[in-house]
Amino acid sequence: MSVLVPLPVAVSLLGAAVSLALHGRVRLQRALGLAVCIVATGTAVALLTIVQREGVVATQAGGWPAPFGITLVVDGFAAIMVTISTLMLLGCLVYAFGQLDAERERLYFHPVYLVLQAGVCLSFLTGDLFNLFVAFEVMLIASYVLLVLGGSQEQVGSGMTYVVINLLASTLFVSGVGLVYAATGSVNMADLVGRLAELPPNLRGGLGLLFLVVFGVKAALFPLFFWLPDSYPAAPTAVAAVFAGLLTKVGVYAVMRTQTLLFPGDGGPSTLILGVAGATMFVGVLGAIAQSDIKRILSFHIISQIGYMIMGLGLYTLAGLAAGIFYIVHHIVVKTALFLVAGLVERAEGTDALGRLGGFARRAPLVGALFMLPALSLAGLPPLSGFVAKLALVREGLALDRVVIVGVGLLVSLFTLFSMTKVWQRVFWGMGPSPEAVPPGARHGQATAPIAGGSRVRPPATMLGATAALVALSLVIAATAGPLYTITERAAADMLDTTDYLRAVLGG
Amino acid sequence: MSSLILDTCTRAAFHTMWVFSLFMLFSGHNAPGGGFVGGLIAGAALVLRYAGHGTDHVRRVLPVAPELLLGTGIVFAAGTGATAWLAGGQFLQSGIAKLHLAVLGEVKLPSVLVFDVGVYLVVVGLVLALLETLGRQDPQ
Amino acid sequence: MLLALLALHVAVALAAPTVAGRAGRWVFAFCGLAPAAVVVWASGRAGGILAGRAVEETLRWVPALDLAVTLRVDGFSLLMIALVSGVGVLIFAYSWSYFEPRPDLGRFAAALTGFAGAMLGVVVADNLFVLYVFWELTSITSYLLIGFEDDKEEARGAALQALLVTVAGGLAMLAGFVLIGSAAGTYSLSQVLAEPPTGTAVGIGLLLVLLGAFTKSAQVPFHSWLPGAMVAPTPVSAYLHSATMVKAGVYLVARLAPAFGAVVFWRPLVVGVGVATMLVGGWRALRQFDLKLLLAFGTVSQLGFMMALLGAGTPEATFAGVVLLLAHGAFKCALFLVVGIVDHEAGTRDLRRLSGLRHALPITFAVAVVAGASMAGLPPLLGFVAKELAYDGLLADAHQLGLAPLAGAVAGSVLTFGYTARFLWGGFASPVDVRAGAPPHAHRPSAAFLAPAVTLAAVTVVLGALPGLADGLSAAAATALQEHHEPPHLALWHGVTPALWLSVLTVVAGVALFATRGRVEALQERVGGLPGAQEAYDRAVDGLQRLSEGLTGVVQNGSLPVYLAVILLTAAVLPGGAVLLGGSLASPPPLAESWAQVVVTVGILVASVATVMMRRRFAAVLMLGSVGYGVALLFVLQGAPDLALTQFLIETLSVILFVLVLRHLPDRFSHHRWRLGQALRWVVAVGVGVFMFGFALMAGTARTRQPISRYFLENSLPEAGGHNVVNVILVDFRGLDTLGEITVLVVAALGVASLVRASRRGEPAGP
Repeated sequence: MSVLVPLPVAVSLLGAAVSLALHGRVRLQRALGLAVCIVATGTAVALLTIVQREGVVATQAGGWPAPFGITLVVDGFAAIMVTISTLMLLGCLVYAFGQLDAERERLYFHPVYLVLQAGVCLSFLTGDLFNLFVAFEVMLIASYVLLVLGGSQEQVGSGMTYVVINLLASTLFVSGVGLVYAATGSVNMADLVGRLAELPPNLRGGLGLLFLVVFGVKAALFPLFFWLPDSYPAAPTAVAAVFAGLLTKVGVYAVMRTQTLLFPGDGGPSTLILGVAGATMFVGVLGAIAQSDIKRILSFHIISQIGYMIMGLGLYTLAGLAAGIFYIVHHIVVKTALFLVAGLVERAEGTDALGRLGGFARRAPLVGALFMLPALSLAGLPPLSGFVAKLALVREGLALDRVVIVGVGLLVSLFTLFSMTKVWQRVFWGMGPSPEAVPPGARHGQATAPIAGGSRVRPPATMLGATAALVALSLVIAATAGPLYTITERAAADMLDTTDYLRAVLGG
Repeated sequence: MSSLILDTCTRAAFHTMWVFSLFMLFSGHNAPGGGFVGGLIAGAALVLRYAGHGTDHVRRVLPVAPELLLGTGIVFAAGTGATAWLAGGQFLQSGIAKLHLAVLGEVKLPSVLVFDVGVYLVVVGLVLALLETLGRQDPQ
Repeated sequence: MLLALLALHVAVALAAPTVAGRAGRWVFAFCGLAPAAVVVWASGRAGGILAGRAVEETLRWVPALDLAVTLRVDGFSLLMIALVSGVGVLIFAYSWSYFEPRPDLGRFAAALTGFAGAMLGVVVADNLFVLYVFWELTSITSYLLIGFEDDKEEARGAALQALLVTVAGGLAMLAGFVLIGSAAGTYSLSQVLAEPPTGTAVGIGLLLVLLGAFTKSAQVPFHSWLPGAMVAPTPVSAYLHSATMVKAGVYLVARLAPAFGAVVFWRPLVVGVGVATMLVGGWRALRQFDLKLLLAFGTVSQLGFMMALLGAGTPEATFAGVVLLLAHGAFKCALFLVVGIVDHEAGTRDLRRLSGLRHALPITFAVAVVAGASMAGLPPLLGFVAKELAYDGLLADAHQLGLAPLAGAVAGSVLTFGYTARFLWGGFASPVDVRAGAPPHAHRPSAAFLAPAVTLAAVTVVLGALPGLADGLSAAAATALQEHHEPPHLALWHGVTPALWLSVLTVVAGVALFATRGRVEALQERVGGLPGAQEAYDRAVDGLQRLSEGLTGVVQNGSLPVYLAVILLTAAVLPGGAVLLGGSLASPPPLAESWAQVVVTVGILVASVATVMMRRRFAAVLMLGSVGYGVALLFVLQGAPDLALTQFLIETLSVILFVLVLRHLPDRFSHHRWRLGQALRWVVAVGVGVFMFGFALMAGTARTRQPISRYFLENSLPEAGGHNVVNVILVDFRGLDTLGEITVLVVAALGVASLVRASRRGEPAGP
């Protein structure tokens, strides 16, 4: 069943091309984009079930045998990531129908969005280090364009930081690939497993750390995360939601993939990675507490939450990795949903500054509920998906006597709750700000102040529907956590024992 | 503003370069060249034309929307891969199609050539798009 | 069935907003069905449970994490269910009268029903994690209920404080559960208790669990959230913050105490905290003017009492604690309901303004007297029975606990007598304090409004006078906790025992305390409250906010050069350190193969340095182009005409495109006042360069196997049908890379186009 492997990438690229040729005919572009996203999602789900049944599945692009051609390979981890990502991209596309203004949508939104999907899927599917670089480039160039789509002054300004830092990371990435090729003579990841193992330990360790840094920038790890909170909030919400949910997690995926497959270390918990995880959690959540705009708060939480995922990697046991993967899945859904809710608020009130908002739950009780659920889940409160994810990490951390990181994790959980209640209390509770509470230099100068206790807010059906669907999905994840956790455990098992992966790629 | 000499030179060079770029494209599989280089040469020809006459003129000599070139390029490249896939091969697997054309008789068409044409189109489309956007913004 | 009952709470809560939209206040009748169903179910199953046959149900959730919704109802759970669902029904009935019709009753009723379900879950959960799940759900619903009147700053703040304090404790508790459970090898509460694990990890786990219990049950020094929570509507205060939720901590301690009471720190800690809480709460209650706050501090005090009794873990104290739990649920809830009625009918809860209500609200007054007397521990009420038992138990356990707990309990009971008298006198009897304004005019409450309070008062009387009625339940509850102990029968009259004398002492001292209240108040003015609890919370929140802002200001300083420098340094130092430490270069390769290479390379280096030194943009672009041409020359020297040609063309086009852009930019680079000094920039640049150079040198000499490029050379013609290997690699061997890269080109073109078009919008249309 390896025949399906290239489909999510191919269909997205072809869709992008056709969509580009349909430039100016927005309705057709919408229909095409929707169709492509549905096909990609369907394929991803099919791949996930195939992997559960048959184990790792690989295909060689161009028919050239590995390690000479480019291998596309799906194991449990990749299949999970593709599935959840295509689902998010589908949801955000529907949301974008309601959210984007006509001008932005006409400016190539649809083709570039599909290219983004192609890049994201290829990043998960490729079994080739250089091709991973290409996939990242595809994804990043699409994200640059989406980030500055429409080109408001603010967008371009914050897009600058994003572009420059990611270009630097890309340069380091391609240098790293060059170094790996220089040292081993191959770029196929499965082939590299054996070749890297023969290198002197210092060189292998250095390469491993270089890739940790490279992907650490993409994943927004401490101390490499600066670009994130300065850039995401400026993007249009549907785009920001995709970025928030997916892009950093592609980086996390790459970190976990390379650190387990290529640079497995000595097999035990890594104090370095756990330290990075803790610092990322802590600095991220403090950043969130210091902010006073919804999207900036949420952006800092992305960083903080990535610490938990990396903690799973740092524990480096079956349960730890499984917990990390589960955390990623949970987080992608919840974070995307939160950004979409932020967009609903911003659309209704014209601002996302806490000081200018209030009483929103009275005017839109459903939106209030749609915020409350993922917000509590983000903080890891039961019985939501975040609780299951956090419990898995805490259990494994304590089982390995990694008390400090567990303590930091729990404390950060509390701080996360503190920060989310801040949003809740200032945006959804209260009666709206008194006129004098509005700072004169508020960011969105054109925004009209909300009317206290004003009429009910009715967001467009597409936006509300997409948001509600994602929140519902997060509830489903919590309810079906048992079987889902089994899937993540299998994925983790394949990461620790790469026999199946190597066999699928290299044969024999 | 444009001088007669420059105009004549660019006009002559323009067509030569186009032909050369196509030559590079089609011979690329066996000699130095290929879609990327070919596209760059064609792009250089467009730039030359632009230097002589400005964006509107470029538009006249190549009256195609850049979006169409870019989109078609990807369709060619990705389509090659998809065709092989639909025919039961691997994605992007190469093959040779034999076409019977009325005048030329049997023509071998390697799929990689179609792929390379896609690359060529994208590069030309890129240069065209940049000239139309960056070039049009004339400060005067 | 139990699972279905929990699901019923969820379903009712979800439907509540819709129902409220149509039925208004009748939504409370609808929501009351959920706890009523539980009461009916529990009455039906009570026989078996009281006989010692626990009801169990399980629902799988995440087997890999030992997470299963295991529910278990034994005698103690049954007693708690009587409080949670029994009182719950009364609260819903009371709410119907308490609230005026208002648009947001739906969400209140939903949260209240949700709470009732969550609290039911807490007292029936057997899986430790599921216990935690319900535990935190009560925190969340409590948050929503305290903050119900969310337009009040005070309500929001109190809701947040309650949430943060209890969740903080809850998180500690979760870690504690993991430690205890992993040591025990099971996460079933009943199994853990059956074979309690031991060890250091278990000890730490217990401390963490106690932290959770203490925060939830408002023990010193975490008690200050509870009085704050009194901003909630009265039904919430009566239900969550006196009868049920705050007892969750006591409940958990009661469960654990018999198994872990022997752990060295357990008794001193739990009993000590309990007694301290009892005294602090009672002392603070004596200085309140708001009837509700008075009761809240009274609750803190009583919770301390229960914590001490149930935490002692001895059979006698446990039994006393169980009875006190029941008694307190009845009398304190009744008193809160009374305050709600007073507030509702008289418009104030300030005991300085209230006066003569005993005439205006005779039935309400009667209820208050009965419930108050029970709280003060006067016969023939249930409160008296409980207190007698407590004195008895503490006396009997004196050999284990010492006499201090007993002394504390007596002192606390004296205070309780004092604040009860203050409550009754101030609320109903005292002459008005003219300084506080004119006394309000009171309306008569409706019968429906009074009924729940009357019911609770009646329970206090009946169970006090005929304690045998509660015998079965309290005995079953105590047996559930202390398996091998036959509890005594409840009785009003124990004979002339030391406990009776202590009761007499309590009453005498209490009367004295009330008689000298003027002097006591003066003393309190001077002493003040316990310093710190509220301040500590405020300061912690404040400090967190300030720490966050300070740290973020430093870390996220907005300077791109700083960000880049940090990333580059990390990239150089971390892997560089790993490579250089413990590595040696066996045989360095020749640095160059020909003089031409050297010349070109030097040229490239010079051009690179020149690029960053140039002041004019155009010159910098030219220098950058030179670097590119230099690289192209290297390709030529290496015999790669394809690459060289491509590189030349790209450089040429790039320079031209740069020029197109530069037309719109200033001629020279602007002189920023860089945050990053020039010297530091050099350090970063040179450092990264040296690192890359060294790394490449190391990597290049380490290769042991054939590179894959050999395959390309060998198979280009025979397999792929092309002489030009470079092209075959691009379009065939690695066609997917090329496909990706041309996609990048396409999107780049689109990006430029969209930006330029966007920036052109709004400008006057060009020719």
